[in-house]
Amino acid sequence: MGQALRGADELANSVDAGASPPRPTVVAGQASQLALRFQGVTHCYGRHRALDHLDLAVRRGQTLALLGPNGAGKSTTISVLLGLVSPLEGTVEVLGRSPRQAVASGRVGAMLQTGTGSGLPPGVRVGDVVRLVRRLYRRPAALEVIVERSGIETLLQRRTTQLSGGQAQRVRFALAIAGDPEVVFLDEPTAAMDVDARRAFWRMIRSLGDEGRTIVFATHHLAEADQVADRVVVLNHGRVVADGPGATLKAAVACRQVRFVTDIADRPALEGLEGVTDVEIRGTTVTLDSLDADASIRALVRRGVPFRDIEVTGAGLEEAFVELTSGGPRSRDLERTVSSPSAGSRSDGSSAAGSS
Amino acid sequence: MLFLRDRRAGEIVYGGVSWREYLMVSMCSFGALVAALNAGGSRLSMERAGGWARQLRVTPMPAWSYVAVKTTASMVVVLPVVALVEPVAGTFGGVQLELPTWLGLTVLLWMTALPFAALGVLVGFAVNTEAVFPVVTGLMFVLGYFGGLFTPVSRMPGALQVAAHLLPNFHHLSLGLAVLDGRALGPSHWLVLAGYTVALAVAIAWKHRVEEARGVA
Repeated sequence: MGQALRGADELANSVDAGASPPRPTVVAGQASQLALRFQGVTHCYGRHRALDHLDLAVRRGQTLALLGPNGAGKSTTISVLLGLVSPLEGTVEVLGRSPRQAVASGRVGAMLQTGTGSGLPPGVRVGDVVRLVRRLYRRPAALEVIVERSGIETLLQRRTTQLSGGQAQRVRFALAIAGDPEVVFLDEPTAAMDVDARRAFWRMIRSLGDEGRTIVFATHHLAEADQVADRVVVLNHGRVVADGPGATLKAAVACRQVRFVTDIADRPALEGLEGVTDVEIRGTTVTLDSLDADASIRALVRRGVPFRDIEVTGAGLEEAFVELTSGGPRSRDLERTVSSPSAGSRSDGSSAAGSS
Repeated sequence: MLFLRDRRAGEIVYGGVSWREYLMVSMCSFGALVAALNAGGSRLSMERAGGWARQLRVTPMPAWSYVAVKTTASMVVVLPVVALVEPVAGTFGGVQLELPTWLGLTVLLWMTALPFAALGVLVGFAVNTEAVFPVVTGLMFVLGYFGGLFTPVSRMPGALQVAAHLLPNFHHLSLGLAVLDGRALGPSHWLVLAGYTVALAVAIAWKHRVEEARGVA
């Protein structure tokens, strides 16, 4: 398989004098569509197992969201894909070659988590940092484009030590796209941003994805991941527990909320209704979590529960996420449903509903 | 500075070199050491702590290039320090050097300060930010004293004299003194300095590899 990948790249990159590059052959075609591939990757930090035989494949042009609780392995996955960490086991390929080679070739951009630091050299002017990083790449993006996309026009003359958290983040985003990369990694990119900045940021990510770039981002903002990503991969304890388009995940969870107002709230009776898994009573408002909203409503009517202003809402990604990472028996059932080939092939992310 | 004016400073203390001149050269050497350790070490450590070094690792910039840039930056800082000690010594302390001697001395001490720059870079990689300042200061004074920068080695007890030969700055200083003395620049000094440079380069490469495996920059 590795041989086939190299062959495809060589074909794609070879240029006859005056001729345009030949298209990859069909045999290697499938493989050359992969931007990223993880196979059986395991890594431990001391005794903590960060990645546990992780398999993941991402096609070119996909926008992928990595979700998971803290310690699930999101940042480690990104670090391995960038060549910052060498995993103990398994193979990793980025654009058909090793992560370090991919980074050295200038086709990768990344925005990393920085903890308490700013991720920028202290005391240097922002414009100078951006120009410096640009020059490290063979075919960088135009400076105006970088500046406009990251929204740093007003920050160019400032020194990196004079930036707020959100501003520093915008500069780091500029550095991530400075090389006009084919693959972009973002680890919690909106951590310090306010709502407006986040919205503008995700719009920008969307347009980068529309340009055909492959984007992988890790985030805690589930709703945003849902809106922006073509495909959502949920990690827990270093393994993939769910993999598919956001809609599939949410549908698989099949949890709906039935909300109504009532003057008489009899908790035990409500808990006993068909399909109900959880009851929440706040004043006169009752919220039921149900696996079968229709059956629950019919049961309400049958029992003569006096309800008003009834409302049924579908599960958000947040419910799906909590369910999947709870580790209980239901989450294992869900895992099987969402990760099975019928729900959408796990290994290359193409779903039954159509490719991304 | 005050000492330079003391009439006893005219005393010959090292070969044919007077106290005054010895002190001047030793201050050059010390200045080079201080500049290299601070410019190389502290700056590098700060950049690593802030996450910049890690950011560079996800760009096409090769790892050796970062080290090379930091070392060069150190050397750039060292040059003015070395070059300015003589004029100052001349103005305030009565030490006079002819121009060619001064140029030769400056260039020599500057170029042979490379192991100091390498040491600074190693410290920057190996030590975390809070500890950098004390480590650098400690190194400055330990190397300085035992290398004979404050007191000539010839005046130290026998055992310390031997120890001094192990230190790079002793040899750095010796080269400088040899210039003033009109003596040949002994090969042993060059060897030790070159040896240190190589050993430090290896240590830096090894340390970098260790940090890479751990996933830190």
